[in-house]
Amino acid sequence: MTQYIIRRLLQAIPVVFLISVICFFLMLLAPGGPQAQFNQNRFVTQEQVTVWLQHWCLVRNPGPLDILREYGGWLGVWNCQGGSLLSAHGMPNFLPAFLGGGDNGMLHGDWGISIYLNQPVLTVILGRLPVTLLLMTTAWIIWLTLALILGVIAAVRRYSLFDQSVTLFSYTFYSLPTFWLGLMLIEVFAVSLHWFPSQLIESPRISPGPFASAIWWQAFWTNPGLYGWDVAMHLVLPVTTLVAVSVAGDSRFVRSAMLESLNQDYVRTARAKGLGEGRVIFRHAFRNALLPLITNGALEVAFLFSGAIVTETIFSLQGMGYLFYQGLLAHDYFLLMGIVLIGSILVVFFNLVADVAYAVADPRIRYN
Amino acid sequence: MTLPIQSSVAAETGNPSIEPGPQEGVDVEVSLESLSQWQLALRRFLRHRMALVGLAVFSAIILIAIIGPIVAPYNPLDIPGARLEGGDPPSLQHLFGTDDAGRDVFTNVINGAHISLAVGLFSTLIAGIIGVIVGAIAGAAGGFTDNLLMRIVDVTFAVPLLFLILVAAVFFGQGSMIALILVFGLLQWGLIARLVRAQFLSLRETDFVEAARAVGVSNLRITFRHILPNALGPVIVVLTLLMASNIVLEAFVSFLNFGIAPTEATWGNALSNSQGAMEDGNWWWAFFPGMAIALTVISINFIGDGLHDALDPRARL
Repeated sequence: MTQYIIRRLLQAIPVVFLISVICFFLMLLAPGGPQAQFNQNRFVTQEQVTVWLQHWCLVRNPGPLDILREYGGWLGVWNCQGGSLLSAHGMPNFLPAFLGGGDNGMLHGDWGISIYLNQPVLTVILGRLPVTLLLMTTAWIIWLTLALILGVIAAVRRYSLFDQSVTLFSYTFYSLPTFWLGLMLIEVFAVSLHWFPSQLIESPRISPGPFASAIWWQAFWTNPGLYGWDVAMHLVLPVTTLVAVSVAGDSRFVRSAMLESLNQDYVRTARAKGLGEGRVIFRHAFRNALLPLITNGALEVAFLFSGAIVTETIFSLQGMGYLFYQGLLAHDYFLLMGIVLIGSILVVFFNLVADVAYAVADPRIRYN
Repeated sequence: MTLPIQSSVAAETGNPSIEPGPQEGVDVEVSLESLSQWQLALRRFLRHRMALVGLAVFSAIILIAIIGPIVAPYNPLDIPGARLEGGDPPSLQHLFGTDDAGRDVFTNVINGAHISLAVGLFSTLIAGIIGVIVGAIAGAAGGFTDNLLMRIVDVTFAVPLLFLILVAAVFFGQGSMIALILVFGLLQWGLIARLVRAQFLSLRETDFVEAARAVGVSNLRITFRHILPNALGPVIVVLTLLMASNIVLEAFVSFLNFGIAPTEATWGNALSNSQGAMEDGNWWWAFFPGMAIALTVISINFIGDGLHDALDPRARL
């Protein structure tokens, strides 16, 4: 098992590397860029721009070869100041600093700078991570629980009125565009009924500072009820949006897994032995129906990230999805690279988790 | 009942007596024999009621997309409504109301249909063609080629695809429909390729392929005549679903103002215009374009469901 995990992790490296290459070249081959704002700004001298660009290995109007160098600089293979593959110490630049390598680029832990926020990319992303994590974990837990309950009941009472309504519900919500559903929820529950706030993660009026920052936590512990309730109220609409669409798909999945499980021979044996129906359903059928769900639940992390872009832009939640949207508007290369990279690493990681969890839960599966 | 695969094997061996000919057998037997796999699928599809409803609705939407701009009450460039703050609510004159610029929402929804459908259809076609070719090559060749191609497919699976699509749309789309179609198509063939390859691997071991190989059919012919037609069933189902999701995707990308140029009337752009209006309670700006998307997607999904039952009868529960 350990061997399998190590092999999978090693296989992931070229995949993530390729993604970063594709994404980087996509962005830098396209016309326009973040440098444009410097050209408009008369308080910035040309020399300053040149120095800044060189520090990040960027060039004006890059050709393909320049982009290769820019990528090398971002990765940490290319020495931007010296303009060569060797560091200032004369050693290959990709080596760690204590071995005489350079100090720029991903390989040396430097994620670059967010050009439009003028802050290190890693700081910006870590600052926005709590909102996304809170939103996603809440939605994920609620939708998996709901999908399990609805799916199991629908399967057990197959073709009943309940089953038919769940089917109708899932077909409808599965087809609704997530972002449109969000807009409609805002219209009904925020604008017309005033039940829930439609924007942001907390009310600006009572917010002590950015969500989950040190100041915020300090204030939170003085009055957890007030701040907790405020955040919870702001979460209702975005979480509902995510849950409605995802439950629709997943409850169908649970239903078919459960139906398949209920048709197995061992379930008939259990019934023949005279076990109670509850025991048959939960101890025999349900536990086996859970297996495909483990994989599905872990694989949906990729979907969670796409969902983050959709819900966070509609509800103006200051999380990673919204950050990505702002980065796109500003053509913020390094920021976008950072978010895509984190997203890919998480997806690769959770794919592995899915496979390992499956093997742990199902003794028939052996990887070697 | 004769499957086309078996009859082609018969043709290969040059044994005419197995071939269903018009001169032999009673009428009933001939009509039974001439039912091909696709005809059977059609029969199963016609038995699926919701799929037929979906097909009817979707046909109506296609019809609207084609002749809609001609019969629409207003010219899309006209500004029939008053330039009111927030537009007019739905009325007999303006069935879906008007937006703040005085444009008729009903006309906009009708005119948006052909762009949404075109993006959904052509991007799915591109993804389907590339996916089938790559998957077939990987599945038929095996070995190093297979490994290399599947690692490339892995790359598209290891990234939340929406991120890459948005990056590509923002940096290369520049408001053009063709660019958007290419971006969607070129980034989404991985799933199809994987599916086709899996089909190839399992079909390669089946008896009828074995039989074809035994009578000396060439590899090329086995691939294209025997395996590929049988591998296509599930692919068509997935392509239908992909088309539905691409229509939503186009709307979302345009909603973020990264898609089709905002001057064009598309469903996504109509929703995008409505963003501020929701706060003022002008629900009709967003409601009707969204309903158009939802209706299209639901009808396509039902068609996909029917196709699934028709083309993949073993998978039915």
